[in-house]
Amino acid sequence: MGREVSESCVESLLAEIVSSYCNGFYANKPELAARRIEAIGFQVGHQLSERYTMDRPRFTDHLEAIKFICKDFWSELFKKQIDNLKTNHRGTFVLQDNRFRWLAHMSVDPSVETSGSIQDPSAMAENKAAQATGMHLYFPCGIIRGALSNLGIPCAVSADISSLPACSFVVRIKA
Amino acid sequence: MQFFGGSEISPSPPMPTASGNNGHMMYIFNRNGICLLYREWNRPLKTLSSQQDYKLMFGLLFSLKSLTAKMDPTSVEKGNLGVPQLPGQGCSFHSFRTNTYKLSFMESPSGIKIILVTHPRTGDQRESLKYIYNLYVEYVVKNPLYSPGNPIQCELFNTTVDQYVRGLG
Repeated sequence: MGREVSESCVESLLAEIVSSYCNGFYANKPELAARRIEAIGFQVGHQLSERYTMDRPRFTDHLEAIKFICKDFWSELFKKQIDNLKTNHRGTFVLQDNRFRWLAHMSVDPSVETSGSIQDPSAMAENKAAQATGMHLYFPCGIIRGALSNLGIPCAVSADISSLPACSFVVRIKA
Repeated sequence: MQFFGGSEISPSPPMPTASGNNGHMMYIFNRNGICLLYREWNRPLKTLSSQQDYKLMFGLLFSLKSLTAKMDPTSVEKGNLGVPQLPGQGCSFHSFRTNTYKLSFMESPSGIKIILVTHPRTGDQRESLKYIYNLYVEYVVKNPLYSPGNPIQCELFNTTVDQYVRGLG
């Protein structure tokens, strides 16, 4: 597994995937675009987890698998581990990355247009940023879902952006 | 590897020689003369409207580049004037200085021109301009939310550039 690929290449490709699905194929149907992108991520995660667990024994329980995602899997993908893992011990895990690599270069227009809206400026800015970056997180969510599904853990994964460039992935394991 | 031979974002930008607010203003133009960015930190005197200012600046640099290349006494073969070259290759104008300010200029092969106006006693800014170009690549070009040819409205880029220029000597 020694061959390497340019990171700029991968990031540009991902940006283009989101852009062509959102503005091209499913121009006015963001939910469909999101689902397609997430499905692509699912396939990728499925294959990647196969590759990265080649020499390991089977995971004993869900927590071990999630820890694998947080440490080894994340290191292979992003050269760092998940910064914070939280769980409610009832099948929900929150994986927090304080500086998500694929969001690191993204930023939005600092000038907020106050068109007489009731919302305060900081909330509006957050909203715009959230909407714009939200589409870019379906792919990593798909990757996590695909990886876990290949390890025998069906789940649903969603992303939560409270502050760029940090983001959290919420994994809900299906009972 | 960035085309300048630096790594991700030059891990060690040129050290500022003295602290203080040295930068007056900065322009970034693209190949077609559209002003992508104009930042101003210290400009007490403004004589023209913004649009006229940008046009004047772009026209000035275009002419200066041609002039300096044509007047070059050293190279025998001029090559194709107007073809963008790597900074440092061919004959490239890089700065001029008056008694009140110094204007430093850099053009990338893709036609992105960066102009930095500073205090007259500032040293050679070529490395700083290369660093700013790297910032442009990282935070603007690689930003999926930015469409090329439009004015730059990326918060990360603005803040990083502000920070960097404030630290320049």
